[in-house]
Amino acid sequence: MSAPARSQLQDLGLSATCAEVLHHLWDYLDEQITPSGAERLRAHIASCPTCRGYESYQECFLQAVSKLRQELGAPESLRERLAERLKGQGCSCWDKVKR
Amino acid sequence: MSLEPRDAPGTGGLTADVGQERSGSDVARDVAFERDALPWLDDVYRFALSLTREESDADDVVQETFLRAYRSWHTFIPGTDCRRWLFTICRNVFLRSRERQRPTVDLEDGEQDAVAAGSVYAAAREKGYDDLFATLDLAPALRDALDELAEPFRSAVILVDVEDLSYESAAEVMGVPIGTVRSRLFRGRRLLQEKLVTVAEDLGFQTSVQGMP
Repeated sequence: MSAPARSQLQDLGLSATCAEVLHHLWDYLDEQITPSGAERLRAHIASCPTCRGYESYQECFLQAVSKLRQELGAPESLRERLAERLKGQGCSCWDKVKR
Repeated sequence: MSLEPRDAPGTGGLTADVGQERSGSDVARDVAFERDALPWLDDVYRFALSLTREESDADDVVQETFLRAYRSWHTFIPGTDCRRWLFTICRNVFLRSRERQRPTVDLEDGEQDAVAAGSVYAAAREKGYDDLFATLDLAPALRDALDELAEPFRSAVILVDVEDLSYESAAEVMGVPIGTVRSRLFRGRRLLQEKLVTVAEDLGFQTSVQGMP
């Protein structure tokens, strides 16, 4: 851990294990850490109200970002232009581009 | 490992089949294209928009992406991730449209951003904003914050957090190592959270949750 990072942790009043959560919570939520590392973080989070709150905060954030997927799609005007161009290429499924 | 699909889609130009009798392979190609490629139009559009920021530019990039995908369909390996293949073509089309002015950033320490995000949370908690993300409809503010997020952080967030690609897939699409995806993603998330907390402060979240759009 770098000195600035350690200093930040001290400022936040966090223990070493809380520090692990702080450093690796995104890796944990993204399932990018080893099973043993995940188990260690899971166990600590379950017993630490501060880290539980932080996990919940980050999970809510990631869920909010993920929901953007449902809100934005290709506009109909784009679908119509693409359909015409695919038709020009001889694509037989060109009309499937439209909704 | 190759960072681009086999035969570098988007570079080729096969002759169109207009006016020719359709062979069995043409029909099979069209069936596969409809089944495997067309369902991802919305996804490719979102990614293109994240790259171009302009709807009209995104339209052009998406059309070119699907036309090149159709012409280069013989290079798509059946059974592999077609969405990732399309994202890669999309990025190639975009980069070519920008004369390959690929944005570059230094490799950042992702953990510094992770720790910095913790500091943002600690400050928000002190002000009573710690349930900010659970309480509010963040979509309008998130869209604005994503629009303002610089490349390549925006692409990393779009691919991993919105489109749900793995780090590995996002790395292939972006043409960078997995560690770079991680550092860009963490920076993007941290910047988004800072922005959202600022928006909440500006709108007086603590005293009036209903005041948030």
